[in-house]
Amino acid sequence: MTESVLRLENIDKFYGPVGLGVHAVRDVSMEVEEGDIIALLGSSGCGKTSTLRMIAGFEETSRGKIHLAGREVQKLPPVRRHVAMAFEGYSLYPTVNVRDNIAFALKAARLPAAEVAAKVQEVAEMLEITDILDRSPNSLSGGQQQRASLARALIRDADLYLLDEPMGQLEPQLRTLLRGRIKFFIKERGMTAILVTHDQTEANALADKIAVMEEGVLQQYATPAEIKDRPANLFTGTFVGEPPMNVFPVTAAASGGRLSIALADGVVLDYAESDFAAEVRDRILTRGDVMIGVRPYAVHRSETGPTATIQANQWLGDQSHIAASFAGQTVVLVEHHRADVAIGEPISIRVDAHDLHVFDAETGMAISHGPELA
Amino acid sequence: MEHTSTLEKALRGVAITCVILFFMFPIFWIVLMSFQTNETILRVPPSIIFDPTIQNYVALITGRLETSAGSLEINFMSNLWNSLFLSSASVAVGLILGVPAAYAFGRLKFRGSEDIAFTLLSFRFAPPLLVLLPLTIYFQQIGLADTYFGLIWVYQLIVLPLILWIVRGYFEDIPADIENAYRVAGHSWFSTFRKVALPLAMPGIAAAGLLAFIFAWNNFIFALVLASADKQPVTVGALAFVTASGIQYGQVAAGVVLSILPTLALALYAQRYLVEGLSLGAVKG
Amino acid sequence: MSIELSNIRKSFKDNVVLEDLSLEVATGETLVLFGPSGAGKTVLLRLIAGVVDPDEGSIRLGGQDMAGVEPEDRGIGMAFQNFALFPHMDAHANIASPLEARRSSAQEIDGRVEDVSQLLKIDHVLHHKPKELSNGQKQRTALGRALVAQPSILLLDDPLRNVDAKLRFEMRLELPRLLSSQNATVIYVTQDYKEAMALCDRIAVMSDRGIAQIGTPEEIYLTPKTIAIARLFGDPSINLLDVTPEAGEEGPYVRLSGAKVPIRNGYGQAIGKDCVLGVRPESIRFVDAAAAGAVPVTIEAETPLNEKTVTLAVTARNREILISRPATTPGPDSNDAHIVLEPDGVLLFDRETGARVETEPATAAGEAA
Repeated sequence: MTESVLRLENIDKFYGPVGLGVHAVRDVSMEVEEGDIIALLGSSGCGKTSTLRMIAGFEETSRGKIHLAGREVQKLPPVRRHVAMAFEGYSLYPTVNVRDNIAFALKAARLPAAEVAAKVQEVAEMLEITDILDRSPNSLSGGQQQRASLARALIRDADLYLLDEPMGQLEPQLRTLLRGRIKFFIKERGMTAILVTHDQTEANALADKIAVMEEGVLQQYATPAEIKDRPANLFTGTFVGEPPMNVFPVTAAASGGRLSIALADGVVLDYAESDFAAEVRDRILTRGDVMIGVRPYAVHRSETGPTATIQANQWLGDQSHIAASFAGQTVVLVEHHRADVAIGEPISIRVDAHDLHVFDAETGMAISHGPELA
Repeated sequence: MEHTSTLEKALRGVAITCVILFFMFPIFWIVLMSFQTNETILRVPPSIIFDPTIQNYVALITGRLETSAGSLEINFMSNLWNSLFLSSASVAVGLILGVPAAYAFGRLKFRGSEDIAFTLLSFRFAPPLLVLLPLTIYFQQIGLADTYFGLIWVYQLIVLPLILWIVRGYFEDIPADIENAYRVAGHSWFSTFRKVALPLAMPGIAAAGLLAFIFAWNNFIFALVLASADKQPVTVGALAFVTASGIQYGQVAAGVVLSILPTLALALYAQRYLVEGLSLGAVKG
Repeated sequence: MSIELSNIRKSFKDNVVLEDLSLEVATGETLVLFGPSGAGKTVLLRLIAGVVDPDEGSIRLGGQDMAGVEPEDRGIGMAFQNFALFPHMDAHANIASPLEARRSSAQEIDGRVEDVSQLLKIDHVLHHKPKELSNGQKQRTALGRALVAQPSILLLDDPLRNVDAKLRFEMRLELPRLLSSQNATVIYVTQDYKEAMALCDRIAVMSDRGIAQIGTPEEIYLTPKTIAIARLFGDPSINLLDVTPEAGEEGPYVRLSGAKVPIRNGYGQAIGKDCVLGVRPESIRFVDAAAAGAVPVTIEAETPLNEKTVTLAVTARNREILISRPATTPGPDSNDAHIVLEPDGVLLFDRETGARVETEPATAAGEAA
């Protein structure tokens, strides 16, 4: 059995006195395997950056253990942890030019000058910053500084690479381009990296596994596909996915071999009982009041079924986003062509049983995904 | 801080005590002196054991100083009042002139604005003595010598650049869009200044006002040359304790204690503004 | 109220930001200013709002020349990118400030603030100071402040930039209704092409100190004037391949991986010229090897992207092509696959100038017949 590169064991972070201050990270445990890219994904203030900074050693770990490359490191200062970090803010050394900033660690390690130059050139080409290598950090735009900071981290030799919002300042087009290149760079060298981001597109594109965080709690830690197909709770379900998942409180009832899920009075999704495994059916029916989640692409227009009135129809070139309302609620549909419906028009909607995510209304935990148990 | 050892904590405590002793000792000694007579002050070796007396304070407050050489009129209380009046009035005038000017320098980039602002600051570079002689002559000619008005005017040399430069930084720190938003909402530039810029720069204005007050209070040379006995502040008035029969250390000490009190009170009151104000970026967020 | 800008020039020191820019926005129209950062979008809004003055050119609002008119007298509602809320006032006072400037009665102010905050779903946080509001609430407060006085011109500077993805999406669906209920002329600045396409009547694409193209979302997406504009719209962005169209028996074609790919007859004038072929990822389909015009490719990677699957494929000459399809549609069986380009989705650009080659209308009509 190989030891994972990083193992977090029940780590907590408190700011201020325990109980009175902020409990920023709550009992987070996770493992990162060698060669994996992990994304810590969440909105601002969810604890993702605190977690990263504890791993790097810039924040003290209030409780719990951090194992890094086989050593217990939570009490070690950053310099002894053998990690490389790219900061979100501007952290370049202002007195030397970009080239020397990037080469700093390599020069300190006394690598031959030619090798240093070659490595700097390679990483600079990858990040499209060859033209600014001789400039001073102060003269750079935010995006350029960020790429220089990223280059300085990626060029180092480390057990783990920590990237804090590495592309937050970049233009959308450049971001798309660099995503692929950075992933290739990291994978080709077998590096292990943790990336903090609030952008789910970035997380999906770069990461092997995504750790979704909210309110200091690790909500789900799984592959992008698993998070999409089997969200662990309402939070992950609605946070990951663009446009976000539709969620409705519903009442489920069974009669005559049919399972009906009522979104509101008279707005009912009707299924054969056999569409669901017996266990799933039992779980849904014993709760009665549950929440269902349906991804926008899984809502279809149909001849029959509950009706809704079109509120918006927005064409984005390759797809249309349609919002329709029924009984005070809004359902969003995505169609992969230009939808020909006008505002105010009624439509009927259909959701297939295998696209239904069912959540416990109280705890928000997933009960079932399609016909299977969560 | 779980990896701080007990030894480290102890050492830290000792270091802090040393620093406090070093800075507080003169003040502590002055307070002790103010409760002693000249004889006990001047005995060798000095001792911190003595019979406390409030005779120094009585002398200052009643305005009569009994010495071995006879009794002496001192107008310390009126000096104290002069200090209070001169400093407050100077700061008030400084704020009225300086805050709008600081806003102009901070917000409107007009031709030569940097040069003018720098020129104003440069008044602080010149040694006061350099300007005092011509200033005295002018003041005598135009009848401003030995008037409160003249003194407050001259005090602007100290107060105005300070206020201007500190407050300007605060105005510059207010995101311009906040003011733009208020303008676009339909308010004139003046009401934007009054309702948005002023409240947001208030910590800085308070800090600048306090610093200016302290600088004005501590001024010596302008008042020495330009003010006669009935207009002079405590800094100059203290010279009266240097008498023909020797220096009245006890009264000097008591005078120092009394003259520290107003600034101390003001500083304590304004402390939170000062701390907030001196740490920049107080407006953001 | 209409907005007319003519021959605007604006520079900051030596840096010319806008040069000879003219733009007309009709009463009640929603226009999006779209472009990369630094293209001058925000400066343009500020010129209209009057917080900066143009070096040259004129700005007319409702037919009136605005030279020398102070921002407070222009009757504009504006939402700033970083919200620019007044930090020392609560949300109510923030929203009420335009009404106070108009000296409305306290009763009227309360009523109007109440109405607009209900519309924006922030009526429960009106007594909070900005620092106590979430980003979404700040953004709505800023929007409320812009809307409350029912201005006839609304300037919105990337108002959704600093809110999370979920709220951004919800607001994008909601905003058109909200804006149309105001009967205002709206200029909306954004860097997000989806927002641009969803919200407006017309898009003005800004680059190089001016407006590179102005038109409806359809025109901009389907017939971009240049390669640069084409690249700004679409995610993933358009595929660009160097080609030289040749004349065939059944009309012009280009060669990809040795296969002859027919292009529209209207491109006859491009035959023999150095061109760049642009085709959006969704205009490429996987087909059987036997299909007409099928181009053999090798598949390198598949990644999911917002309910789509994006396939990275390479041609025989090792040129990369991105192909996207709905996530629910099955992909090709093996790594050796074949694709066709939908003829309507194929654009040709002049390789030297980057300008799109227009199809000749006559032959295009003939083709349709």
